[in-house]
Amino acid sequence: MVSDFFYPNAGGVESHLYHLSQRLIQRGHKVIIITHAYGSRTGIRCLTNGLKVYHVPMMVVFQAASPPTLYGFFPIFRSIVLRERISIVHGHQAFSAMCHEAIIHARTMGLKTCFTDHSLFGFSDPSSIVMNKFLKFTLSDIDHVVCVSHTSKENTVLRAALTPQNVSVIPNAVIASRFKPDPSMQDPNVTTIVVISRQTYRKGMDLLVAVVPRICRKYSKVRFVIGGDGPKRIDLEQMREKHLLHDRVEFLGSIKAHQVRNTLVRGQIFLNTSLTEAFCIGIVEAACAGLLVVSTKVGGVPEVLPRHMILFAKPEEDDLVEALDRAIEMIQRKEVQPAKFNDELKEMYSWVNVAERTEKVYDAISQTRDPPLIERLRSYYGCGVFVGKLFCIMIALDYLFWVYLEWILPRDEIEPAPKFPYKKFKKMCQRADKEDELQPGVDSL
Amino acid sequence: MACRNIDQAPSSHAGILPAAPRSPWRKLLYVKQEYPDNYVDDTFLEELQKNANVRQYEYWSVVLESTIISQHISSIVIFVAIFIYLYFGLLSSHALITMGTVGTAVGYGFWDWSNTMLTPDSNYQRRKIFKGAVLFFLTLLGLTPILKTLTEKTSEDTIWALTVILFLANLAFHDYGSGNRRNIKYPGSLSTNAAIFASVVLASRFKTNLHVFGLMSFAVEWFALFPMLRRQVRSISNRGNLALSFVLFLTATTLFSQISPAIVVIYILGMVFLTFVCPFWLIWIQRYKNEIHGPWDEARPKIQHGRSVDNY
Repeated sequence: MVSDFFYPNAGGVESHLYHLSQRLIQRGHKVIIITHAYGSRTGIRCLTNGLKVYHVPMMVVFQAASPPTLYGFFPIFRSIVLRERISIVHGHQAFSAMCHEAIIHARTMGLKTCFTDHSLFGFSDPSSIVMNKFLKFTLSDIDHVVCVSHTSKENTVLRAALTPQNVSVIPNAVIASRFKPDPSMQDPNVTTIVVISRQTYRKGMDLLVAVVPRICRKYSKVRFVIGGDGPKRIDLEQMREKHLLHDRVEFLGSIKAHQVRNTLVRGQIFLNTSLTEAFCIGIVEAACAGLLVVSTKVGGVPEVLPRHMILFAKPEEDDLVEALDRAIEMIQRKEVQPAKFNDELKEMYSWVNVAERTEKVYDAISQTRDPPLIERLRSYYGCGVFVGKLFCIMIALDYLFWVYLEWILPRDEIEPAPKFPYKKFKKMCQRADKEDELQPGVDSL
Repeated sequence: MACRNIDQAPSSHAGILPAAPRSPWRKLLYVKQEYPDNYVDDTFLEELQKNANVRQYEYWSVVLESTIISQHISSIVIFVAIFIYLYFGLLSSHALITMGTVGTAVGYGFWDWSNTMLTPDSNYQRRKIFKGAVLFFLTLLGLTPILKTLTEKTSEDTIWALTVILFLANLAFHDYGSGNRRNIKYPGSLSTNAAIFASVVLASRFKTNLHVFGLMSFAVEWFALFPMLRRQVRSISNRGNLALSFVLFLTATTLFSQISPAIVVIYILGMVFLTFVCPFWLIWIQRYKNEIHGPWDEARPKIQHGRSVDNY
């Protein structure tokens, strides 16, 4: 697994990487994660169940993303891959330059590659155009791509000009047991609407600013709990000042991952106002915690939740207010039982399922034949009139660089790392647990 | 297509007999379907919209719109011609100042009249404008000796090169698009500044204060006030706009025919290319336009009560 985004950075991609790796390890695979160094978190770290994380020293430019280095990353990447005897490289997130580079180098080294896309892109703004070019470059020669929703698949296929058969849809998952509903935390006298998101334009905070005062004016027994932080926070606070809603709207600031559930269970309704969303794990978590979800109908959101858990609205102020009206009515009349959502979702989105389906992708790509270099060059050449030639030069250089590395640092001289004995470790854990049970007073550590 | 149909056999989580007729595929993530993960349905990319917002252009309307650019180019050419006339003594500074003043007065009269016609309720403070104009030209007169000696030590080649660059900047950043006559946009002001700077550089080549003042006042009238008038004419009548373009074109041609016939030929060819060939080119190139829209696009939030939403 390669991505710029991993813990201690918090977010959807990070937790996806972690949970998927854990499940794959449990299924008997060996998984390592390559990311860049985060502050003092450098070198190699071992996480639960021997999940090894390589923090490659790299400069961070913007929001935890490293700048593209072209070939700078290759030597260290090759050493890691040979040392750990890796056969499949799986990159995550299109924003990550490291992931793109890893995929190109892995192809040069003759490894199988896979890529997971976590976000949606338009086609009209300049940043998307540049991003899409990059994506087209790395994905020209990839074995398989995974997307988190069908909408995201359509988007990726168009952006990178892929064959749709080479793109699988494997959704994200939640650990339903961590989002157990708890009706006792709710305030029985009022209806509480929870909003948890980064407070940015893309998350539709302008809509929220417009909707909150209207709902508060309409219902005297409705409260808002708003979690998260971001540039639009000022607008939200101004709204609260302007409409004198200090006792009705509560701001929690940024929320840590483990506090999310405790915040969610305080409410009966979850409101999502995003303007674009590939999958939106937030609404799944909210439904898991026993909340009725009201969301804008954008991107992959309509695919995510069954109809009885979610109310859709167009990304318009009036429509959102209407949807919230319906939701509040449903809650007050007790027409829905959100507390049961957890059991249903447990079946739908489990990491075991995701790991199983990802494993199938891995199995399929390990059986494919490696194309010769000329075949690879041909696929890059097709990228564009000028850019195709440029890509070919880059790939050819990459290949030469690899041959040079093979000569200066031969394969045999790289010592393979010992495999983490997962089964033995599990047995030891179990034994320790048993001993704990026998001698409750003794600390096992 | 090495991995076509990742799992042909019914997947373990689906648990449905292969013999059973397949229920149609649905674009949902929460249901377990007996289709492989890489299944491509017929509905794939159904919601894709191509060129939804593309406007087809009409040749003559584009030709008409292109006059905005040709007028601006003509005005720059005319200014350069006037400088050359002044430089070689073919035009006296008195004549230029008189011409500029009369032109400005007539232009202002027209501007004032059309404004009161268009928006009768607006109350223009003519006194204030007049006071400002007098103050401005007095300041300019006071600054003239300084401007005169500004680039005395710089060689002429540098000056010509600098002027060309500055006029190109003026051409590139001129506010062609907006029809508004009040608010000044940033690139628009950058363009005006470039033109005024070019005029200062040119004016400093002169030997007498009166020449410098003449060219500078003309530059201010020509590059700061005249575009406003042109915008006004365009918003009032198409015919007036065409007539103005033609007058500017003729003026530029006659002025430069005394200086260099070669430049006249290039200028005329350029104008023909700009006015008649470029619109055709634009329409022809439209066929390569490929605008893609779909459900993945960032939605535009619609907010009532007239509040605007600013991006980011």
